[in-house]
Amino acid sequence: MFGILDQQFSWLNFTILALAAVALLLVVLLFVMYAIYFERKVIGWMQLRKGPNRTGPWGLFQTVADVLKLLIKEDVVPKKVDRFLFLIAPIISFTPSFMVIAAIPFTENLYFTDINVGLLYYGAISSLSITGILLGGWASNNKYSIMGGMRSVAQMISYEVPLIMSFLGIVLMTGSLNLRDIVHAQIDSGIWFIFPQFIGFVVFLIAGNAELNRTPFDLPEAENELVAGYFVEYSGFRFAFFMLTEYVYTFALSSLMVTLFLGGWDAPFGLTFIPPIVWFALKFLLLVFYLFWARATFPRVKIQQLMEFAWKGLIPVALFNVMLTAVLKTLGIF
Amino acid sequence: MTGQYLAFFIFALMAITGGVFMINLSRVIHMVLSIGLSFFGVAGLFIMLQAEFLAFVQVLIYAGAITIMMAMGTMMTQGGDEGEKPKRRLHNVLSFLSAVLVGAFLLYGIYTTSWPTEPTDLGANNIKEIGVTLFSNFVIPFELASILLLVALVGAIVLAKRDGEKD
Repeated sequence: MFGILDQQFSWLNFTILALAAVALLLVVLLFVMYAIYFERKVIGWMQLRKGPNRTGPWGLFQTVADVLKLLIKEDVVPKKVDRFLFLIAPIISFTPSFMVIAAIPFTENLYFTDINVGLLYYGAISSLSITGILLGGWASNNKYSIMGGMRSVAQMISYEVPLIMSFLGIVLMTGSLNLRDIVHAQIDSGIWFIFPQFIGFVVFLIAGNAELNRTPFDLPEAENELVAGYFVEYSGFRFAFFMLTEYVYTFALSSLMVTLFLGGWDAPFGLTFIPPIVWFALKFLLLVFYLFWARATFPRVKIQQLMEFAWKGLIPVALFNVMLTAVLKTLGIF
Repeated sequence: MTGQYLAFFIFALMAITGGVFMINLSRVIHMVLSIGLSFFGVAGLFIMLQAEFLAFVQVLIYAGAITIMMAMGTMMTQGGDEGEKPKRRLHNVLSFLSAVLVGAFLLYGIYTTSWPTEPTDLGANNIKEIGVTLFSNFVIPFELASILLLVALVGAIVLAKRDGEKD
């Protein structure tokens, strides 16, 4: 960022980088707070309700109040849990979700790392969160939480495969794993990858939705079967950490999708007078809206349907997409 | 003190403490977590050696997948006997001796190999190099490894299926 990573290490540079990370964290937290508000409003309107409208003008302070409540609640640690794992699991789960954002280029100049394995970095680091979920479910010493944890792991591992395979078409087309190079390839060719890689995009949309544990794939926390899934025993700010993880992944995955398929900060139709960061934000919000829309309109699937859909539906389609891209690339069409 | 030195120190510490805890902890699930820490530290060391691809594959396969496989395996199979282990003096002495022997052997190997003294510039595009090398010079080993993995996968499914039919 701003060329600091190329310079020699010094405490000044370290401080600047740390402050930049804190600023990013604040932006993400603000996003999470208002994403929850937006989600409740959107779902409310879709279901002919008003949504939150009491706290502050148009209910704008509702989520602020909710977050404050979670933070000042008593931090209850049940007696028969595995204390160390119980305390550390939310942290193991949250840290990777924030780490992956470092790889995402927001505009031409606003990015944290220019890493040559950006996509692999995203896939690898995000898989670490699953450990936190599994350990949290196990350490709680509760049948619902351990079942929720197991389901979550099975689901996230299964859907990680089509998610990563759906990237491969793009990697084949650009010959790079660097996210900035991928955006530049889209700007140079003038066509966003959503069009030549439409199958990949659809697979990514579905697998990404499942990876985020959101409806219609929110089996890990199916409240009518499992009470609340892997975080049944958690309360206060540790519960908030698990919730935060989900929403930070929403942020990261939507940003990644913008970068990969929607041309990143590229302005369509030559509308370059609107700054690139605004374009990025608009595309990003569109994808976030899609997630809320899906939540408001789809019923939850059953566990065997979920697994069959991943292994018999999405993975063959993603593989076919990789094959097709390779063939078209060899023929010289891409 | 450079940043590289600092990072090396942190990652090496992670790798070593992970390993030591793995051996000394008594509950299997804690061991799994500490070996995960160790894998992560090793991945950090790979990054410092400019092997980013290897590093993140290490995170993906070892710190992510293998740790979870082990954790799930122990959760499914745990018998609950986590009591005091019987103390076996001869066993301890023998394992210490064999550890010293292996260590000495490795050190001997490290000291007698002639390492290239000039650092090779791996460049920013080392993933591409890995890909090209893998698919030109090492195609047959690569394909053989993939067949091995496929056989293991099919074997696992067959075993799981047979187990289910008995019920």
